[in-house]
Amino acid sequence: MKRKIFSRFSIILFVIGLMTAIQYNTINEPDDRDTRDVWEIRQELSREKQLHSELLSEVGLLDATLSKYEEISSESPEQALKDTVEELRGLAGLTEMTATGIEMTIEPSAEAVAFGEEIDYIAPDLLIRLVNEINRNNGLYVSVDGNRIVNTTAIRDINGLTTVNAIPIQTPPFKIKIASNSMEDTEKLYNHLLSSRILDDFYIDNLSVEISAPQEHVTIEPYAKELNYRHLQIAEEE
Amino acid sequence: MWLSILGLILGISLGLLTDIQIPPEYANYLSIAVLASLDTLFGGIRAHLQQVYDDKVFVSGFFFNIILAAGLAFLGVHLGVDLYLAAIFAFGVRLFQNIAVIRRIILAKWAEKSK
Repeated sequence: MKRKIFSRFSIILFVIGLMTAIQYNTINEPDDRDTRDVWEIRQELSREKQLHSELLSEVGLLDATLSKYEEISSESPEQALKDTVEELRGLAGLTEMTATGIEMTIEPSAEAVAFGEEIDYIAPDLLIRLVNEINRNNGLYVSVDGNRIVNTTAIRDINGLTTVNAIPIQTPPFKIKIASNSMEDTEKLYNHLLSSRILDDFYIDNLSVEISAPQEHVTIEPYAKELNYRHLQIAEEE
Repeated sequence: MWLSILGLILGISLGLLTDIQIPPEYANYLSIAVLASLDTLFGGIRAHLQQVYDDKVFVSGFFFNIILAAGLAFLGVHLGVDLYLAAIFAFGVRLFQNIAVIRRIILAKWAEKSK
C-alpha cells in the first residue's frame, strides 16, 4: 500500500517538476536584444520609407489606369486596351523611346592608338558590368550600338565576337544610349557614371569612355527581334 | 520517499535539459497549474499523515484542480476580470493551511518520539 502511495507521489512530483522547469525556461528566456545603433535604425527607416513611397507611386499609377479605363470603357473599350498594350510594349522595349538621357561613346584610348595597339572587341564581362551599373542607377532604357537591352537580353561571347541579343557589336568606337524617366534621374546617373570606377576598368582594356552631358531628347531604338516566349506560361487564376 | 524525490529531480532535469518553452501568453496558465499541483501535493501529504489518504481523491484532485484553475484563468482573460487571482488566493491559503497541519503532525510525532 505504502509503495503504491509513493509511486503515485513520484508520478505527481515528476509532473510538477516538469511543469516548474518549463515555467522556469519560459520566464528566463532571454529577450532578443536590439543591438542596432541609431544610425542602423535610421537606415532601416529610410529603406522602409523608400519602399512606402514606391508603393504609393505604384498605387497612384494603377489608380490612374483604372480611372482611365472607367472613362474610356463607356466609349471605346478597345482604345483603352490598345493603350495599355502599347504601354506594356514600351516597358518591354518593343517600341522606340525618346526621353531625357545621355550618350556614351566607347572608343580606343588615345594611348593605345599612339602605341599602335590592336583594339579588339569589348569584353562581354566589362559590358555586362557597365549595363548593371547603369541599371542600378536609374538607367531605364538602354541600347548598346543600336541593340536594345530588354529583360531577356544576353550579352556574351559568340565565336570570339561580343554580342548583344546575339547580334555582334562593332569594334570600338560605338555608342551606348541611356534614357531615364526624368532629368533628375538622368543627372544622377550622369554624375554617378562620371565618378564610377568602371571607367578605370575600361581603361585597363585600352578603351576610353566619353559621356555626353544630359540631353533632353535621346532616342532609344526598339528591340529588333521577336521576343522569345518559350518559357512563359499563362498564370493560373487563383 | 526517495522514489518521490527521484521523480521530482527527474522531472526538473528533463524539463531543463530538453529546454521546452511555451509561448509567453500561456505562462500564466502554467504558473497557476504549478500552484494547483503543489496544493494537491501538500493536500496528499497531509491526508497521508492523517491516515485518510485515498488514491482516487489524490489523482483526480490533481488533474481536476489544474484544469479548474486554468479554466478560471482562461475565463478571466476573456471576461476582463482577473479570475486567476481567485485561484491563486484559494490555492495559496490552502497551501499554507496544509503545510501548517503537516508541521503540527510532524512536531507531534517528534515530541512523542523524544518522550
